[in-house]
Amino acid sequence: MESSELDGPVFADARGMTLYYWPYTTMRNGITGDPKNASVCTDTPTTKTAGLMSPYPPGLVLPELDKRQSCTAVWPPALADDNAKPVGAFTIITRTDGKKQWAYDGHALYTSVLDQRPGDVMGATTRRSFGDGPAAREVATPPPAIPPGFAIATTATGRQLLTDKRYSVYASTQDGPGKSNCDAACTRTWAPIIAPESARPQGDWSILERSPGIRQWAFRQQPLYTYVLDSSLASQQGSDVSGWHNVYTQQAPLPPRGFTVQDSTTGVVLADGNGRTLYVYNCADDSYDQLNCNLPDSPQAYRLAICGGGKVERCLHDWPYVVATADERSTSRTWSVVEIDPQTGHLATPGQAGAQRVWAYRGSPVYTYVGDARPGDINGNGNGEFGGSRNGFKAFFLRDDFFGNNL
Amino acid sequence: MQHQFQRQARIRAVRVLCAAMVLGTAAGAAAADAIAPKDGKIGFALTGARWAIYQTDNGKEECPQGFNEGPREQFKALFPNGGTVEATQLRREGLARYPQDREDKFPYREAAGKTAIGLNLDDKVGPNDFTSQAGASGIDNQLFRAIGCTRLFRAPDGTFAHFTNMWVRELGFNRILIELTGVDSLVNDDAVSVSLYRGLDRLMTDATGANIMPGGSNRVDERFGAKFIHHLKGKIVDGVLTTQPADVYWPWAVFLGRPGAYTIRGLRFDVKLDSQKGEGLVGGYADVDSWYEQLVRSWSTHHSSYGGLSQPSLYPVLRRLADGYPDESGAMTAISSALTVQMVQVFIQHDADVVTAAQGRHSPNKSDGL
Repeated sequence: MESSELDGPVFADARGMTLYYWPYTTMRNGITGDPKNASVCTDTPTTKTAGLMSPYPPGLVLPELDKRQSCTAVWPPALADDNAKPVGAFTIITRTDGKKQWAYDGHALYTSVLDQRPGDVMGATTRRSFGDGPAAREVATPPPAIPPGFAIATTATGRQLLTDKRYSVYASTQDGPGKSNCDAACTRTWAPIIAPESARPQGDWSILERSPGIRQWAFRQQPLYTYVLDSSLASQQGSDVSGWHNVYTQQAPLPPRGFTVQDSTTGVVLADGNGRTLYVYNCADDSYDQLNCNLPDSPQAYRLAICGGGKVERCLHDWPYVVATADERSTSRTWSVVEIDPQTGHLATPGQAGAQRVWAYRGSPVYTYVGDARPGDINGNGNGEFGGSRNGFKAFFLRDDFFGNNL
Repeated sequence: MQHQFQRQARIRAVRVLCAAMVLGTAAGAAAADAIAPKDGKIGFALTGARWAIYQTDNGKEECPQGFNEGPREQFKALFPNGGTVEATQLRREGLARYPQDREDKFPYREAAGKTAIGLNLDDKVGPNDFTSQAGASGIDNQLFRAIGCTRLFRAPDGTFAHFTNMWVRELGFNRILIELTGVDSLVNDDAVSVSLYRGLDRLMTDATGANIMPGGSNRVDERFGAKFIHHLKGKIVDGVLTTQPADVYWPWAVFLGRPGAYTIRGLRFDVKLDSQKGEGLVGGYADVDSWYEQLVRSWSTHHSSYGGLSQPSLYPVLRRLADGYPDESGAMTAISSALTVQMVQVFIQHDADVVTAAQGRHSPNKSDGL
């Protein structure tokens, strides 16, 4: 097991490389992904679309076939030795070529060619996404060490502690370690999270007795509450109240210095130093493999269609990269500086003339949008196929108050 | 919908007659007092909104050439033998976002006829204006001409018309609150103030959960909803609220995770009110480019296929029919439009910390999976 910046503890192979699985996923016009105890990720590159996403028919020729990789080249199977034995939820499946592959809870396991070091999660994330996104790979993670009644959500701000019904969990700076100072009037707004009689302290989790027989959960000595005025799931609304804050098991890496946060009509967005909202570009193709096309080394035809109707100069004008100054360096594995050839959208070669140093989130450049006139504008949000879920741009929300903090 | 407006017109006529009969009598004065809201203030929440489309049963009157074809049909006609992703799918997706690059000329069917739902926005009667079903001339609703023969926008079966109307109620992002202040009477008052806010809370329903009830309360979103706050001047005549034109940013999220808004210039209300509810029209000039971009961002090619909407085909029509707010070159930047709206009375809470009657825990993801 390794620790990751975004997804907490993750399962890893013997080299420490993060393990992923590919959930069986229902698309608009069919199903793809691995069924339980099997792998459909093969060594043969796909050449045509599968027509999984309406309205376009199957059989369209995929871009840049001469460079196209197979599913297993991008997602190497986590192969098991001939002598390997199942361990608990880790089992062994037989691939169609006869090779043995590790599986967890019946899901065939892979590594990602994008990961360079133990703890990298560049291939995917456990973060939820709405609707018509790709049949994405997910990080294989152990069950979190939390009591019944709690859950953890991977969000843009960190691993957020929730109840199992996805209501936010809060703590107060007015409380002492293991002691609640929230009186009867306070509890009408801040509902203590009650621990059942059978609950026992363990690890970061402890229990305080509010009054005889009334026990309250605490995490890292902070008494825990929910906020009765939350109108959205996984909300951060309670953190607007002085002295109260959401609880995280792990904070997400901080954005680069000089970035700003702005209020939009939906919540808080990450923005550049001038207040212009940042956008991430999402893309997966319509093959059965559902391979990513959002990275600089992916075919750029998808992005160019959306950002400029196929025209490079229009893309650069309408969706400019977020340039990193000469002295700015990567601040984490999550936020990095990459050198881009702006004419091709691919990574520049070392020393290439005209290359731009730009900021990237999880290896994919971030952008601003020319149609945003004022700080907090999100006029580019959703620009792309299926509202930007498949081939398009989404604003970098740090908080949304209206869609379950899923944007 | 036309039946509702015919009925509304009849009701209005009867009310005017009744008001005339009791004018100057003590009974009449007592009736007016009884409907003066407490402290001169009353709030409403929007519960439904659709782009106003005049529809006959078979569409023959307003769409004599039939309805428009959509992305599937156009794709099949353009690429009968398929091709590469770049030359087919991505070309069409790029064109939806940059429709000025238009390269195909599919026929586009505009709504015809003389009748439309809407308001006289410019106080003129022009050659392209419509007549309302009640006989009012000078109706400005060129958006109806542009989208009236596209099934997506027609009620009740058009998916845009159906779902966006539903999301007015179900998505908190779209919680538009309308607050009237300085109201002496809900029947006749020559000067009232009208404020628009975004609310924070769900709407109160009856025990079935299907019917929204008056009497709930709703907090004002003064932070993230700041751009949606507008103040208008209006009056009430015979129970109908009308407002002076004002530029308004109108929240319009669709699906889950697609927040958006329309910029409507010279927006005005024409809504029949009582102490429980309101129903009528909101008219104004929709900024063409932002209206189109909002449509493209929120309604994918897939979703547009279920209703015959080709976005690249629609855009030049919107530009051509635009009839308001010329730019420096004289080109019109906005298109006359109208929304049919319904609203229900709510108590608007300006103190965000107040625990309100309607507030309570609920799943904002009720529509998950749509």
